[in-house]
Parts: sequence; C-alpha cells; structure tokens
Amino acid sequence: MGSVFSSLFSSLFGQRERRILILGLDGAGKTTILYKLQVGEVVTTIPTIGFNVETLTYKNLKFQVWDLGGQTSIRPYWRCYYSNTDAIIYVVDSMDKDRMSTSKQELVSMLEEEELKKAILVVFANKQDLDGALTETEVAKELGLAAIKDRKWQIFKTSAVKSIGLETAMDWLVTAVQSQ
Amino acid sequence: MYTLLSGLWKYTFQKDEYCILILGLDNAGKTTFLEQTKTKFTKNHKGMNLNKITTTVGLNIGKIDVGGARLMFWDLGGQEELQSLWDKYYAESHGIIYIVDSVDKERLQESKVAYDKMLQSEHLNTVPLLILANKQDISGCLSVLDIKRVFHDSSTKIGSRDCMIRPVSALTGQGVNEGIEWMVKCVQSNPYRPPRQKAIT
Repeated sequence: MGSVFSSLFSSLFGQRERRILILGLDGAGKTTILYKLQVGEVVTTIPTIGFNVETLTYKNLKFQVWDLGGQTSIRPYWRCYYSNTDAIIYVVDSMDKDRMSTSKQELVSMLEEEELKKAILVVFANKQDLDGALTETEVAKELGLAAIKDRKWQIFKTSAVKSIGLETAMDWLVTAVQSQ
Repeated sequence: MYTLLSGLWKYTFQKDEYCILILGLDNAGKTTFLEQTKTKFTKNHKGMNLNKITTTVGLNIGKIDVGGARLMFWDLGGQEELQSLWDKYYAESHGIIYIVDSVDKERLQESKVAYDKMLQSEHLNTVPLLILANKQDISGCLSVLDIKRVFHDSSTKIGSRDCMIRPVSALTGQGVNEGIEWMVKCVQSNPYRPPRQKAIT
C-alpha cells in the first residue's frame, strides 16, 4: 500500500530524473566539467578509465550525469550507456586541432545510434581560457555539425577551469530538456 | 493484391514531408517564431516559455502537420559567423522563411546583405520564399511597405519562385497561421522540388 502511495506521489509531484551523457575524446575535460557542475570547484582529475556518475540538481531539475572515459580503447563501451539518454554533452578540446577529425568521427558514429535518436546534442567547445583556442563556429565547422538535420543541437564555448559558459549552457539545456 | 494493400497503407499513413528553413539575423525572432508555430499547430503542445528563449548557436527543429503535409522546420543561428552554416541546408530545403526585425532599423541593411547572399545560391532556385516582418506588436516598428522598399531591389534575383512578404508578431502569434498556410500551399504546388516521403511515426 505504501508503495502505491509513494509511486502515486512521485508521479504527481516528482520529476523524472533526466539522463545525460558527457562524451568526448580523452583529455577534453569531461570529468572537470562534471565536478565543476556538481560541486562548483575545479578538482584535480586523472584520466577516467571507466566512468563517473553523479546526480545533480539544476534549476529544480534532477540530472543523472554519466561521464565516460574517452580513451580510444574504451570508446567502444560508450554504447552500453546509450539507452534512455535525454541529452548528450559532447566535449571538445578547442586547442586540440590535430584530433578534431577523430572527434568528428566519434561524434558522427555516435549520432547514428538508434538509441540516441531523440537525444538533444550540446557541444562544449572547451578550454576557451587558452590562447589560440578555436572559436565555437570553427569547432562547429570542424565537427561538421551542419550535417545534422534531425536533431536539436547547440554549441557553447566553455572553460571548466575558468567557469566560462557552463551556466549559460546548463540554462539552455534545462529549457531544452523540459520542452522535449 | 500486395501492391494494392501497400498502396492503400501508404496512402493513409504517409505524409508528404517538406523541409522549411528559417533564416534571418540574430535576434530577429526565428526561434520564437518556430516555437509559436509549434504551439499553434500541435495539439496539447507544451511550448517553451517564449521569454526564456536565448540565442541559438546551432539548430532547433520542429515538426508540424498541416492539412496533408508535414512540415519539418530548421531554425538556424543567425549570427554573422554562423551564417556560413546556412548553405549546408539549402539543397534539401523546400521553402525559406526569412525573418526581419522590423524594429531594428540600424541592422536592416545588414539583414538585406545576408538576404542577398542567400538568394545568390543556386541550390535555392525555385524554392518558395516568405519574408516576415516580425515584431509588429511593438509600436514604432517599420511597416511591411517600408521593408518591402528596402528589399525590393533584389526582386530581379527572385526568379521564378513564389515570394511573399507579410507582417507578423511571433511573440503574440498574430499572422503566424496565415504565413504557414501560404507556405504549405506553395511548397505543395512547387513541381521542381518534390517532397520527401516519410511514414508517420
């Protein structure tokens, strides 16, 4: 009986937890972004082998955020986490011009997945605090984002370390997820 | 027999899909127009709060069903550096909605430049074009006639396509229905760009 009431209560007043994946190549800054969003501090990170998962509440919306390791050898495992994803945060190191094409390939093959058809795409052109970083338009071109025709996407310039752009991006994400 | 049945199936469950590109300078009201359109043409649509809309640096999409057609909207960011992404969408578009901010007199010329550049693309030949003079709810805005005058000297580049300019207020929704209905009629009667067929999902 108690469970009936509690499920009724949560369906009336509770918000479904939104599931977000943070993806991108290794060294793009995914883990730093996750913890910057959660605790508001820049933590020292080591390369993620496996994943970090945290729940965070932003503007009354509960998010379950998965940060998956980005190294070549573990990218094939990203797909195990795709189901029921509401949004993808794709993090790009805007300084890493040499690996833009790799990043593009990973993005393209990820977006082909059936399970991610409905997910919103947010690209973070990260590391904007560094001189010589590509602008968000340049990153968008490098990634070939204009080829995306059936999905809502947006790109933001961010710096997790200097906390540039994260708030704007999250505000947009909240509105986008709510009207999904 | 199979052909007959599958034909019937297609007839009842497929709609002609047309892609409509929404262009214009940043802050012209493209996303607001898209959201307003979605709200007006979709039953039980829980629209975005129109006051919460921020600058688009990317793509917003929307789908509506009008009459026998399904319109798929692409709303692109309008900032100058993002305008270089517009042409990636031209080849697949069936119609263009170009939105002009009727209040921002200073940037009208800039809007005209972007408009001219867009018209030059051969990928857009024969594609119906709807120019919307937006923000008509604000007093002191330019009238449709004023905007027509500015955009008029491009009329030679319009070629053989349906073209129309209309007043609209994306925020209040005034004029949105008429614009969309005009667009539907035009894309349906344009023989040069047949629709893509999609099953209804």
